[in-house]
Amino acid sequence: MATLWSETNPYLGEPKGDTDFARITDNVARVAEAPKPPIGWYIAFGIALAMLTGFGASLGWVMWVGIGAWGNMHPVAWAFPIVNFVFWVGIGHAGTLISAILFLLRQTWRTAINRFAEAMTIFAVICAGIFPGVHIGRPWMPYYMFPVPNQMSMWPQFRSPLEWDIFAVGTYFTISLLFWFMGMIPDLATIRDRATTTPRRFIYGILAMGWRGSSRQWHRYERAYLLLAALATPLVLSVHSVVSFDFATSQAPGWHTTIFPPYFVAGAIFGGFAMVVTLAVPARQFFGLKRLIEIRHLELMNKVILATGMMVGYAYGMEFFIAWYSGNPYENFVFANRLFGPYAWAYWTMIACNVVIPQLHWFEKVRTNVWATLAIGVVVNVGMWFERFVIICTSMSRDFMPANWGYYIPSKIDFLTLGGSFGLFFTLFLLFCRFLPMVAIAEVKSVHRDAHAGHGHDAHEHSHSPRTA
Amino acid sequence: MSSMNEKHPKPTYWRSLAELDNDPKFQKMLENEFAEPLEGPDMAPGTPARRRFLQIMGASIALSGCRFKEDKLLAFSRRPEGVVPGESRQFATAVELNGVATGLLVTSYDGRPIKVTGNPLHPTSAGGASAFHQAAVLSVYDPDRSEGVTHLEGRARTASTRKKFEEFLVSERARWQANGSKFRVLASVSSSPSLASLRDRLLASFPGAKWVEYSAVETDNPEAGTALCFGKQHRAVYQLENARVVLSVHSDAAGATDPSGVIASRGLAQGRVPEGKPMSRVYAVESSLSLIGGIADHRLSMPACSAKAFLAALDAEVSKLLGEAGKGAQPVPSAKSLQAPATQKFIATLAKDLVANRGASVILAGNHLPAEAHAIAHRLNVLLDGVGKTVTYQELPLRERRSEALSGLLRDIAANAVETLVIIGENPVLTAPSDADFAGALSKVKTSIALTEFADETARLCTWHIPQAHALEAWGDGLAHDGTLTLSQPLIEPLHGGLSAIEFLALLVNDIKRDGLDIVRRTHAALLPSQKAWNKAVHDGLLPGSAPAPASVTLATLPAFALTESDLAEVGATNGKLELVLAADSKVYDGRFSNNAWLQELPEPLTKQTWGNAVWLSPATAKALGIGDGDLAKVSVSGKELTLPALYVPGQAEGSLRIPLGYGRHFAGHVGGHDDANVTPVGTNAYPLSTTATPFVLAGATIVRVDGRQEIATVQDLHAIDAIGQQGIDERRGLLLAETTLEKFEKEPDFAKHLVHHPPLESMWNDPVAYEGHKWGMAIDLNKCTGCSACITACQAENNIPVVGKDSVLMGREMLWLRVDRYFSGTPENPKLSFQPVPCQQCENAPCEQVCPVGATMHSHEGLNDMVYNRCIGTRYCSANCPYKVRRFNYLNFHLDKVEATPFQSVKDKKKLLMHMVFNPEVTVRARGVMEKCTFCVQRIQNVKIKAKNAKRAIADGEIKTACQETCPSQAISFGDLNDPTSAVAKDHALPRAYTILEELNNRPRVRYLARIRNPHPELG
Repeated sequence: MATLWSETNPYLGEPKGDTDFARITDNVARVAEAPKPPIGWYIAFGIALAMLTGFGASLGWVMWVGIGAWGNMHPVAWAFPIVNFVFWVGIGHAGTLISAILFLLRQTWRTAINRFAEAMTIFAVICAGIFPGVHIGRPWMPYYMFPVPNQMSMWPQFRSPLEWDIFAVGTYFTISLLFWFMGMIPDLATIRDRATTTPRRFIYGILAMGWRGSSRQWHRYERAYLLLAALATPLVLSVHSVVSFDFATSQAPGWHTTIFPPYFVAGAIFGGFAMVVTLAVPARQFFGLKRLIEIRHLELMNKVILATGMMVGYAYGMEFFIAWYSGNPYENFVFANRLFGPYAWAYWTMIACNVVIPQLHWFEKVRTNVWATLAIGVVVNVGMWFERFVIICTSMSRDFMPANWGYYIPSKIDFLTLGGSFGLFFTLFLLFCRFLPMVAIAEVKSVHRDAHAGHGHDAHEHSHSPRTA
Repeated sequence: MSSMNEKHPKPTYWRSLAELDNDPKFQKMLENEFAEPLEGPDMAPGTPARRRFLQIMGASIALSGCRFKEDKLLAFSRRPEGVVPGESRQFATAVELNGVATGLLVTSYDGRPIKVTGNPLHPTSAGGASAFHQAAVLSVYDPDRSEGVTHLEGRARTASTRKKFEEFLVSERARWQANGSKFRVLASVSSSPSLASLRDRLLASFPGAKWVEYSAVETDNPEAGTALCFGKQHRAVYQLENARVVLSVHSDAAGATDPSGVIASRGLAQGRVPEGKPMSRVYAVESSLSLIGGIADHRLSMPACSAKAFLAALDAEVSKLLGEAGKGAQPVPSAKSLQAPATQKFIATLAKDLVANRGASVILAGNHLPAEAHAIAHRLNVLLDGVGKTVTYQELPLRERRSEALSGLLRDIAANAVETLVIIGENPVLTAPSDADFAGALSKVKTSIALTEFADETARLCTWHIPQAHALEAWGDGLAHDGTLTLSQPLIEPLHGGLSAIEFLALLVNDIKRDGLDIVRRTHAALLPSQKAWNKAVHDGLLPGSAPAPASVTLATLPAFALTESDLAEVGATNGKLELVLAADSKVYDGRFSNNAWLQELPEPLTKQTWGNAVWLSPATAKALGIGDGDLAKVSVSGKELTLPALYVPGQAEGSLRIPLGYGRHFAGHVGGHDDANVTPVGTNAYPLSTTATPFVLAGATIVRVDGRQEIATVQDLHAIDAIGQQGIDERRGLLLAETTLEKFEKEPDFAKHLVHHPPLESMWNDPVAYEGHKWGMAIDLNKCTGCSACITACQAENNIPVVGKDSVLMGREMLWLRVDRYFSGTPENPKLSFQPVPCQQCENAPCEQVCPVGATMHSHEGLNDMVYNRCIGTRYCSANCPYKVRRFNYLNFHLDKVEATPFQSVKDKKKLLMHMVFNPEVTVRARGVMEKCTFCVQRIQNVKIKAKNAKRAIADGEIKTACQETCPSQAISFGDLNDPTSAVAKDHALPRAYTILEELNNRPRVRYLARIRNPHPELG
């Protein structure tokens, strides 16, 4: 790719020479400041917006005629909408994991990717949060699930895992949003300070919430950041555990499995990281961030994908072992049916995408190649979607009594809704790329060699030039 | 009464109150606080109170928005005696099918009949009812029924009036009276004494006129068989409850298509109790699995054409065993189809068993078998000393054979010897064999008059079409299967001003009595002379003891019946000789019910197919011919062809094809198919394959695969089951449906409780309720269940369950709360069939209750899983967590969309809202997005509780009956209070063979099943 650094157009390339604090600021902030994004952004945004329109149209149609517009049926009462919900919640894991857990573990490489990983989390959880609301038969009354005091003294039923979901996902979204926004405040202030027009100064001024960069502010900021990180860390583990309870606490063979919480969390991190690399590769290419999001960072993420992919593979194997070991004929059947039944194609797609293909990351050449990284990231995302499909639809389609068995076929509206949710996600993400600081400027600086003048080992660690792709 | 309402040439169902307000008579009546006695010009003085009540009720419908008659409106401020507004009442009435009247009790709510069940006093129903009966109420409100007289002038059909028709009659009647030789009537088979008297009156007043009895799907071969045996025609009445050995030869005596199927199921089931008394043994020899074949202990698949040879062989064998008594037996047939060692052994063992149980054995022969086969069966019944024990005979007047009468009519038409043809209640253009070319014949008749409910294939070609009143709209009478006089009364005034057959005939012959009630009363004036006796008979729906005494029969020596080439044919897939059996359908009968959405959506008991038919063939035959399940296939026989989907049906005799009749109608209505309304016919019409000579069993058929497939909307095994799925079914069938032999059962009576080994069952939750009051429970006896599926339609009628249509069934969205699971075991060629009705199991430790986030399904203090529809938001988690998958979800607004071809079309035609009149007002009509399920008919429980509480008494056992239990012809279901150890259900639950399905999940269902026990002959294994 041509890298012609232009002083006026940040999209044409990235700055030559070594990075320093000013250049980091400039590199990130000018993306949000450019008068016009490149034509590619418009094309991408147009496509995303069209898909979002499809999302709105499909949900509107579903509300109009009933959720029978989707392919859900008896016995597969939960199908695409819940698959999509679990998929998006899973995607939403990586952001907080990178921000919180890696922060607490002092993994400084996270600074390059944490901002947009967090943004991705927020947007993914928004996408996820829509599904439980619209998948219900009477989508105009999801508030029945909230503990709203009312004159009829009606209260949610707290033994239901769906009720737990409401709180788990709600808490996770709130904390993630706070974490993301708070982390962005110093950078928003930077953009405010660089702003040349009054509207920009005004809007970013409000968003920056009066940030002046005083020592006291920095001190409080860092304390709060640490606290939120500590608060968010258990949530990373809890939210998908709770989502997995929807299945694990039920009686259906293929759902009723104690391994689900760790298995779901591993899968969520796996899928989340895959989504981060899927977004990071084009972002660093098109927005000139190669100096900040280095190949090294991608490689580290690929290693996480490799590790969590194997965890997921282990969980797949363990499910089979337990099904056999339990001696429960219904469990045994469900797993045999996954391998050889009518939905075997979905199962083998999942295995290929989640277990086999990520093994390519054992090769350094693969995991340091941006295009291979991108391709495998996409493949893992497909695989993780199919994992949820296999768990939900395959298990439901053949449960205890053979007289109920059926074969679920999604309708066209199902595909429109699924595609449309990506439209929502990418619309939000492209807006984020356009208007907000994509990389945590302040945090990157904190790990920059210049921040550690006099500490030779740090300088050495951060000063090598990025490997070229 | 039942006027055609000339003042309202365009009858409408929905009248606004404003319209009423403009009516001066209505105004006057409103002003008059004390209304005048209800005696209009068409009311004879002293008409019984019952009739008056109906008129008032009819008027109240007008108030609530239905049709009204202006001179009968009365405000409920003066309440008719005995009527409590908002309280349902039951009336005895009857419907007739193929000459047998079945007594029913119809629940009427504010003048609307909404629910049917069997009349417990009536010998043919004994309280049970078939799916046909259950669905009758929906037919009453069918918006496609004809609304008025139409007349064909030239080529155009125009709306006419009853008055014009009467004027037409005045001019014609004189000609008919002068010379009736060109006058013909083609009417349904009927046992109605009133109809018979009017028929005689007609034949007398139109000299030379002829009356043709017609049935599309039933023959009079059984009666003809008795004529061969006893010299005179007799009707056989079976008492299966007395039989210890039952042999069914191609008989569907327990099915809905048999008019006495309900009582036959009852009798059969009474012999299938393994506790206490000896259990009966049932043998079946048939080409397709029938309901009797399903409960049979031994079953032989055999082509229908071999039936005569089989019966001859059995006759020879039985007669040999009987020695001197058995002389005059048929010679041992040389049929190769009987030579297989297994068949020989079957016949030998069967003969031994029949003779060993002399006096307690019975042989049932299928209606479509030739008269000679029936003769052999009757001979054997006499020889085996069954007469007076398992079968009685009643003498019938000698009549012309039905098939000959029809051919005679067609010959006369061809010879231009018929000028006027009156068709009553039949649709011969659809149902007559194709070589009869009834439509062509009809065009040669100058005046044709059709009295039918619908403007169907026949009526639309007739010069006059008069709407016929539904059986529940008319007075009538008939005879039960044993000859008991049965009376039927209207539940509602004819919604479309139709006439009953007797009223119509009275009009034709210009009888002084024109009203159905008057005619029926006149007919039975001798039997029911007093008002009191009449009232009692109408109240009971029958006259007890009016059945004729059984005739004593003397067995004539039967000649040796020649076995024709087709009787000896070796039917098989490999030799290319196939036979085709055409038979009445268990859902639409001969096609007359094809516009009834409940019946169309009822899963066929054996194939579980809804919305359509297919050609049934055994998997082996199909594979030999290269035909896949669901492939389109072309069936050809005697030069005629038909393309329809092929369906693999286990238990089909090899080389035998079967197509249910009554489908593929082009002028049925918005449900069954109508060309003018662009509604594609449901299924394929197989009548064109039938011939006058061999209407139902046709030899020399061929079948080839043609390109294309058609999805068959079955509710079970909707998609072909792969090897892994089949393995799964095989593994768990024995766990879900406990089954053993009598011998093993006697050794280990509680075997069903030990099918699954599991650790001690402990729950996380404490029992929420102590159940100090009632504790409802149900038991279903799998040994009695024949799988007839009447319970499904009963449940649908009682609980306002929507019809979803074929598309939604194909998507697996049927809404039926009660399903009847069907399992095959053994080989596909000769399978064992088992049925398991599955309602909501009402678990004590219910998985659905725990997962509902909004508490929309809760445990009641009487142990029910209540559904709170208002609270339900439709997460469907309960359904996902229900191991029995008994919960049904309203994916669309099915009640509005139910008759539409596509799920997304809403009903534009307000006329269709007439169907909503059938709703049970005591059950919520669910909208889209709500989960629903079986409630154990909680509304019935509450009604009885209220009644008992008001009377300050305890609820008696058996006082509460669920809809499924009430209708069940074989009484397989018991329901009641488990807290009462003397209740029937508590006793059933305590039986050793009672078990719950999926017990190991610790849901603790309230429904227990009584295991299926088979009683095989030790020598047949």
